[in-house]
Amino acid sequence: MNFAHLHLLLNHFPIIGTLVGVGLFLISLFGENEDLRRASLIIFAAMALLAIPTFFSGVGAEGAIKKLPGISEDLIERHHGSAILALFFMEISGALALVALWQSHGIARPEGWNWILSGVLLFSILTVGLMARVGTTGGDIRHPEITAGSDAATEGSGVSKIVRRFEPSPGKFAELMTASKWWWAFMMDLHFVGLVLLIGTVGILDLRMLGFAKQFPISPLHHLMPWAMVGFGINLLTGVLAFMGMDQYYTYDWAFWFKMLAIMLLGLNVAAFYLTGAFESVERLGPGEDAPPLAKFLAASSLFLWIAVITLGRYIQPFNDTISVHK
Amino acid sequence: MAPPLFLQTIEETGFSTWLRESESPFAFYFILLLHTFGLALLVGANLVVDLRLLGVARAIPLAPLKRLFSLMWIGFAVNAVTGVLLVIAYPTKSLTNIDFYAKLTLIGFAVWVMQRLKTRVFEDSSLSEESMIAKGMSLAKWSLVLWFGAITAGRLLAYTYKYLIYP
Repeated sequence: MNFAHLHLLLNHFPIIGTLVGVGLFLISLFGENEDLRRASLIIFAAMALLAIPTFFSGVGAEGAIKKLPGISEDLIERHHGSAILALFFMEISGALALVALWQSHGIARPEGWNWILSGVLLFSILTVGLMARVGTTGGDIRHPEITAGSDAATEGSGVSKIVRRFEPSPGKFAELMTASKWWWAFMMDLHFVGLVLLIGTVGILDLRMLGFAKQFPISPLHHLMPWAMVGFGINLLTGVLAFMGMDQYYTYDWAFWFKMLAIMLLGLNVAAFYLTGAFESVERLGPGEDAPPLAKFLAASSLFLWIAVITLGRYIQPFNDTISVHK
Repeated sequence: MAPPLFLQTIEETGFSTWLRESESPFAFYFILLLHTFGLALLVGANLVVDLRLLGVARAIPLAPLKRLFSLMWIGFAVNAVTGVLLVIAYPTKSLTNIDFYAKLTLIGFAVWVMQRLKTRVFEDSSLSEESMIAKGMSLAKWSLVLWFGAITAGRLLAYTYKYLIYP
């Protein structure tokens, strides 16, 4: 397993997963099927999460192949730029999908339509288009059989020419992030604020499920979760921007990748909490009542994983340069 | 003006040197990690009380939140101890940095507000929730501002120091 391999494995998710999500979403619209709609929203959120390590692994993949004969650095740059643009839209789609899921949770037949769902529809379709471009530009790097004989290799069709104008130059983006140490300090500061928001709210809910402070009924503590999501959103944004500023630094660092793994596992944990019925089993618990074993397990794993995330994040600095560049 | 000599004296002790230069995973970075946990506990718990007093998640009963104050004091204790150790590891870096004193000042005020919140709002168990909120709302706002300031001042330490070790 090396970075190229990891990148090639992961890239299927944001490209094909979003397409499947949009398909299901449209079917749910025409069929007026709430379960299908919910499933497609979950898919969008999951793909948004997976898009992150996919994007990050691209840097290592570039490192693995850029010295090989016949590889064009320009094509890699173009692919990288298109990925930055697509990631932006992917994350917005995922965030809107999470809001839509929150709005409809616990309601058997959610209300018809609203702005959030319009936003999900718009952004997810745009994301599918942008992801298709990312896939194509990626293929151009190393699949001569599809680019051979085609002058369109660097030019593309009319639409892609328009889209190209919006694709940032990765090098300039990196410079922007690291130009001022005060900007960097500000981003790191926000990263701590997000951390505190997240741990304060999720921590209390998890601890209550594990049996501490039983005077609290669980449902009101659960109402704090949107703040946890705000905290997570702040950290996702500042984290991705930080990575883009110093991508080599983070890529070749074991602590960073284990931190990403822990975050992906947390995504699974959250999905399990809501999809296995654990949430329903604790939602109506009043003061003094004990949570069932599954909910306790998921609360414990959540707490453990967030502590792991903080620890691994702190250890990024000393674990710098722990992965050899030739991977 | 040269930094006071006692900073160099501290830095040259075996303990300070070990904290700073040891390859052991339990040295500087571990203490910094514990400092992060302490702050997550202290500010996280305080944040929940503040948000509730400002009207977020109204279904959470206010009175039982009194229990969170013991968590806050545990967090504070962890950070006081780890904080001292961090200063011992890098005395010149911290004690010649005005931002460090700003941080301590902001923390001092934030903890004072925290205590005021406890005594004014939570000590009298006969108060109704409405009166608790009336008494605590303004303190809660100050608490949020002061903690945000303290976190910022702390985070900026890495970017504002003049000397890493004694020159």
